[in-house]
Amino acid sequence: MAIGRTIWPVQGDPLRRNPSRAARPRPAEPGFERWMWYFTRISGLLLVILAMGHMLIMHVLVQLTGQEISFAFVTSRWGTPFWRIYDLLLLVLALLHGVNGARIIISDYIERGGLRSLLIGILLVITFVWLLLGIFVIITFNPVGAPAIGPFS
Amino acid sequence: MLRLFRYRISWSQLAWFGHRLSGIGVLVYLFMHIVENATLAFGPGVYDTTQTFFRNLPVRLGEIVLMAALVYHSLNGLRVIAMDFWPATTRWYRPVTYAVIIGTIVAMIPLGLIMITPYAPWNGR
Repeated sequence: MAIGRTIWPVQGDPLRRNPSRAARPRPAEPGFERWMWYFTRISGLLLVILAMGHMLIMHVLVQLTGQEISFAFVTSRWGTPFWRIYDLLLLVLALLHGVNGARIIISDYIERGGLRSLLIGILLVITFVWLLLGIFVIITFNPVGAPAIGPFS
Repeated sequence: MLRLFRYRISWSQLAWFGHRLSGIGVLVYLFMHIVENATLAFGPGVYDTTQTFFRNLPVRLGEIVLMAALVYHSLNGLRVIAMDFWPATTRWYRPVTYAVIIGTIVAMIPLGLIMITPYAPWNGR
């Protein structure tokens, strides 16, 4: 079963070969696809630090120090601009990195142009809404002004 | 090579497929995570109540799978970046691919043990 494509070795530009057997070799012509090829790798490098750091703090360090994630915990974290900017950067980079990967996977498996465009269109619309929601929550978070609404307040 | 469902699959194909699978898994989690975090906008009552829904064994097991997916995606991603920009390193393609798989398993032993602790028998349950 050929999972993946046999595109190595290819003669020519060493970067256009696919020696790493990543999803794709570097696109030959400059443009959007080449930009995204570089974006995936550079954001990936940053995300190793940002996402692993986030997971180690939230799921390992919190456990080791016997804390719980609560509104008070978030208040103390987001009280400093450093962690707000950290989380904002993590949100934007992770979402764009992940959605670009999903777009490439859709393009790989859906051959028909119309269906492919429809699925990628839906993906982009959902991403845009979720990105705005995530940014909104981080930027507008204000422990003092939080409304006392809902059944649990 | 290993045999899986009567197909012969190389470890490198499995590494590639694992990268896609872990990537999609983390992306789906990220979408849910954004929704869950949006409850912060409704104040401490709503947020703290929502958090109690996540303090159980099934969710914790899911978090451990998430951690494993992220560790694997990170290590394999670093390998992809290194080999894309320094093609000469592909000389060690096979040992590095094995190192990524073994590294993920080794890293998950302490991480998994720490994360499962509140639900583990040795924690007095």
